[in-house]
Amino acid sequence: MDQKDILFKEIFDTNSKKIFHLCYGYTGDADSANDLLQETFLKVWQNLDKFRQKSLISTWIYRIAVNTCLTYLRSEKRQAKDELTDNIIENRIEEYSEKNEQVALLYKSISKLEENDRLIITMVLDELPYAEIAEISGISEGNLRVKIHRIKQKLTELYNQHARI
Amino acid sequence: MQEFKDIQSLWQSHSVEVKISAEEMLEQAKKEVNVIRNKSMLNIAGMALSFVAISSLLFYFDFNSWTTLLGIGIIVLAVGIYTWLLYREHRLISRNDFTEHPGEFLHKLHEYQLSRYNLYNKLYWFYASAISIGFVLYFYEMLENMNGSVQLVFILFTVFWMIFCATILRKSFMKREKERIDLLIEKFERISGQLKN
Repeated sequence: MDQKDILFKEIFDTNSKKIFHLCYGYTGDADSANDLLQETFLKVWQNLDKFRQKSLISTWIYRIAVNTCLTYLRSEKRQAKDELTDNIIENRIEEYSEKNEQVALLYKSISKLEENDRLIITMVLDELPYAEIAEISGISEGNLRVKIHRIKQKLTELYNQHARI
Repeated sequence: MQEFKDIQSLWQSHSVEVKISAEEMLEQAKKEVNVIRNKSMLNIAGMALSFVAISSLLFYFDFNSWTTLLGIGIIVLAVGIYTWLLYREHRLISRNDFTEHPGEFLHKLHEYQLSRYNLYNKLYWFYASAISIGFVLYFYEMLENMNGSVQLVFILFTVFWMIFCATILRKSFMKREKERIDLLIEKFERISGQLKN
């Protein structure tokens, strides 16, 4: 194993869980999240030499992941899969326990948000610092705070609405 | 009624499991390219085998007519040239690794697709014509001592097989290969395109 492989393995082991969570939050589907995770880390591998350490490596990876998520579902072939997300989540609700039903409900609520909002709230839920989210999403920190406040409200509303049904 | 902090703790209590390792991930990315490489390799191996089998006829049988020798010679030459062209194409995709040089690999993949298209269109008809002429010359001596109905069966089967290869088989092969390469190109272009952002 050469130096690059070792470094990549370390980066993958440290960040893959967070990135998978982000992708899962965005798609609501484990298979698509897995595809996105692979695409993200493939880009990381190819560009490892170009990483200049101007930001944290996790921020850099998150940016790649966000970019990957946003373009992934826009590709024509993935649209059909996207539409299936609701069904996937609904089917899984029947399979799981009460706690996992709540989790599935949460994924369903997140899937009702705008694409960008989905990614931002996933990072908020994972407690990423606001400065880092601002850098990843390319929004000023001031605007981001307002946006996050609005998304939090919207998500809570959606979750409670779905929970009542 | 849940508050946002309840939702957040629900999110954090839910653990996700990444089912793939770093090694598997890179392996999987390379696998898709390897499917095309292996198919191309099998194609070459099949052609090389035909080349050897047809050439060996010259060593194991004693033919009396020059038409048979010329027929076999033409077939062997056509198969040999086609095999060499297939090998030349194979080198386009076998020399590069997408995970190492994505830009170059994508360029070669486009080149490969175009070259494949030419091989199964224009060049295929030269190949099919040469093989047909070769078979006509070969059958001239081979079928001489057989009765009329056997001759007819041989000729009809060969004609049917050539037509089948040139139409249904060739078209479906081209369609499947185009779809496979298009998908790969689309995927790699999307990946490479995003990296420029």
